[in-house]
Amino acid sequence: MKKAFGTLALLFLLGVLLVVASPSNGIKFGLGGEDWKTYRYTDEYYIQHGMDEVGGTNIVTDIVFDYRGYDTLGEATVLFTAIAGAVALLRPWRRDENEE
Amino acid sequence: MMLPYLITIPLFGAFALPIVSLAGRKARELWAILVSALTLGVATEVFRTVWKSGEVMVYTLGAESPLGQGVDFPIRIVWEVDLLGAIVALMIAFIAFVAILYSTEYMRHDTGLEKYYALILLLEVGMLGIAITGDLFNFYVFLEIMSIASYALVAFRNDTWEGIEAGIKYMFAGSLASAFILLGIALLYGQYGTLTMAYLAKQIAANPTFTAKVALGLIAGGLLFKSGAVPVHMWLADAHPAAPSSISAMLSGLVIKIGGTYALARLAFSVYGMGINLRTLGWIIIFFACLTLIVGNAMAIVQTDMKRLFAFSSVGQIGYILLGIGIGLAAYGSDVGEVALAGAIYHTVNHALMKALLFLVAGAVIHQLGTKNLNELSGIARKMPVTSFAFLVGAAAIIGLPPLNGFASKWLIYESSALFNPFLAAIAVIGTAFCTAAYIRVLFTFFGRPSEKVMNAKEPGKAMLVPMMILVLAIILMGLFPWAISEKVMIPAAKMLENVGTYVSAVLGGA
Repeated sequence: MKKAFGTLALLFLLGVLLVVASPSNGIKFGLGGEDWKTYRYTDEYYIQHGMDEVGGTNIVTDIVFDYRGYDTLGEATVLFTAIAGAVALLRPWRRDENEE
Repeated sequence: MMLPYLITIPLFGAFALPIVSLAGRKARELWAILVSALTLGVATEVFRTVWKSGEVMVYTLGAESPLGQGVDFPIRIVWEVDLLGAIVALMIAFIAFVAILYSTEYMRHDTGLEKYYALILLLEVGMLGIAITGDLFNFYVFLEIMSIASYALVAFRNDTWEGIEAGIKYMFAGSLASAFILLGIALLYGQYGTLTMAYLAKQIAANPTFTAKVALGLIAGGLLFKSGAVPVHMWLADAHPAAPSSISAMLSGLVIKIGGTYALARLAFSVYGMGINLRTLGWIIIFFACLTLIVGNAMAIVQTDMKRLFAFSSVGQIGYILLGIGIGLAAYGSDVGEVALAGAIYHTVNHALMKALLFLVAGAVIHQLGTKNLNELSGIARKMPVTSFAFLVGAAAIIGLPPLNGFASKWLIYESSALFNPFLAAIAVIGTAFCTAAYIRVLFTFFGRPSEKVMNAKEPGKAMLVPMMILVLAIILMGLFPWAISEKVMIPAAKMLENVGTYVSAVLGGA
């Protein structure tokens, strides 16, 4: 019963996402020309101004280290958290007081 | 401008902790306390500034203005703090400080404590980031920091089977919920081409599409999971009892509200406030709120494990907060909606204080007696009077007895729900009846005849009693001026949250 309901919910979600991914109802793919200007204006800005505002020739690094640098800092923190968590969980078990 | 320090201080504290730990246990504890105290100071200052000026505080990372040269859209990450954000930031810093102070004695018998303090500071960073961010992807990054730190902390006692079981359950389901949120953000970016909440709000208002609604559904689903609303509350009832009590206090007092209800309110009002029919969204949230109220509080009655009882009670209290937010959405723009929203914000703060206190009490009992089974704990009040007094205050506040802080916030929610729809008020009252029954049961256990197990118990040390007393004091003080607080802080916060125009124009500069 629960499984059948879960499967139905997943199917429904898949259907909705297919509608969203169809160019006539939702997100367009392979943007070009005018569409590029209406949907990807921020990307256009980064491409136009990245060189003289940041100074790097690689736009991706311009974005991840300058325009959106704090997301990168956050990702580094996620990594640090994951490592701290993994090391914390894989430490040896607590022994009885007299064994130490 | 103090705002950046709100993140950098605890972040630096966490990253420096492995090095500070080399100097020994005392240095590590002092460092964690110092860092969280400094953060509390900064949070107080930010709150005072926002509250005094009544304006939205905006900070752009890396430039003077969030807007690009010669264009009218933001290209950088912005942090945007309105009064609600400032209130929850202050609440996070306060509870985190109290929990860290408490852990110095409570966690003394555990190993791996340098990772523990690093993780607890990272948990604080993640929650503060969610509270202040004005960028959708930045929100997701901080949500992940918060989630990963809490997965690790739930399973921190890796030699207990329940810790590992709860951690795995929480992690598997929680990662799925995070993935839904990321998918929703990806859809929004694909459709509108921006990640800044304020500009996105403007874009959605100009062109509300089907994609935006699907994205809202996905993100709201993920956030309801993180808040422990009813169909997806099961992780919470396992994770809170299994975690160390200082962590349960932070999970129950903060994580489910910051990653859940606060983010939901921010998304619904600030991002979608102008673009979609808020009435429908409000009723959907009200539906889940009613389920959560009844199921959470009813399940709390039948528990025999003290921490599990508190965990289910947290689910029930999330129901009140969701009910307030739901009515605030469904009755958007009317006085009733505003009062309901103010009640929800007020109850968020109050519940954080009292549930943190209750979990710290549970931790003290476990620490002194080694059991959390209510059937074995009869008559603690004789042997641990201070702890029992703290429990009495916390339980009375959560039920909503008039001299304490829980009364005013629940009253605002009852009043507004009765004016909005009497049926909802009836459900809220039934929920409180269940909640009362659950806590009276624990109360009778505490004040009964001392059982054999309890006879040799004694009070915990100062480092555990002082944090409890700080929280008791906060609850009593807030209970003395309920209407002043609601007039001066909570109603303005609700007004600011409802007023999407100022939130948007604070970033776009009136554009």
